[in-house]
Amino acid sequence: MSGHDTSEHGPAARVKALEQLLVEKGLVDPARLDAIVDSYENKVGPRNGARVVARAWADAGFRKRLLMDAVAACAELGIAGPEGGHLVAIENTTRIHNLVVCTLCSCYPWPVLGLPPAWYKSFAYRSRAVSDPRGVLREFGVELADDVEIRVWDSSAEQRYIVLPERPAGTAKMSEEQLAELVTRDSMIGVARVAAPGKSR
Amino acid sequence: MSEFGLSELARQLGCDEASVFSAPWEARAFAIALGLSQAGLFAWDEFRVRLIAEVGASDRIRERDGTNRQGEYYEHFLRALEAVVTEKGIATRSELITKIAELQPPVAPHAHEH
Repeated sequence: MSGHDTSEHGPAARVKALEQLLVEKGLVDPARLDAIVDSYENKVGPRNGARVVARAWADAGFRKRLLMDAVAACAELGIAGPEGGHLVAIENTTRIHNLVVCTLCSCYPWPVLGLPPAWYKSFAYRSRAVSDPRGVLREFGVELADDVEIRVWDSSAEQRYIVLPERPAGTAKMSEEQLAELVTRDSMIGVARVAAPGKSR
Repeated sequence: MSEFGLSELARQLGCDEASVFSAPWEARAFAIALGLSQAGLFAWDEFRVRLIAEVGASDRIRERDGTNRQGEYYEHFLRALEAVVTEKGIATRSELITKIAELQPPVAPHAHEH
């Protein structure tokens, strides 16, 4: 095996070699790779999803369209991209709390949430979100009353989810931009609620 | 399976992490995978099948041994990327290994003493 396996080398050296080899073959352009990294580090992220949620809170017609066809509704806001197809929006209510996981790997709606956080990809979250969602939520600081139903949505290549969290009280006079500021990534995965303005979550 | 509080996990992993990558090589591996797929060399779903296989193999070891090493996602990702690259004939294993060796910094003469 020795000499035919890359795994004896560190990942940084392997990635560097892979990139250089592909550049020499004319298959990747380093500037293009820089642009991809920049895009996912700085541009594509949960602020997009927050805009979607804020619009849904502010505009009942949009909310309806979002719940019916999330891909088309996001496109209205100019939000689209890889891993954005098959997006479904699921709504939290006083009786139903939605929680999103990908038990197999890391499926996640990139255009609205960016790339998943490390804990989302962890074995602990992937296994326990299904077996003990109430316990997982408690560990994230979300205490749900016993009569609140928890629905766990397992993402796949075919279907991705964004949670439409409940609009907090005391936000009636806020603008859409101000509402978007309240919406966190974790609330759109379902491991947090959106806190009322001025309150820490 | 060891019990491992998620809040503790989230803290260790950086729940509010500002950055989506924890090392530059992770970002680079992600960009290479997405770049090759966007260039039409493989479909992202073909890559995902291999990623699921890598993650699944690790999960089974973890369930059996109760090991709890975290933060290795991009190691699975890199193995899946190397697998799709070689299986698709984009590059061979030996080309990869030769290139790794080529980029290795030369060993200083006095470093031979062990």
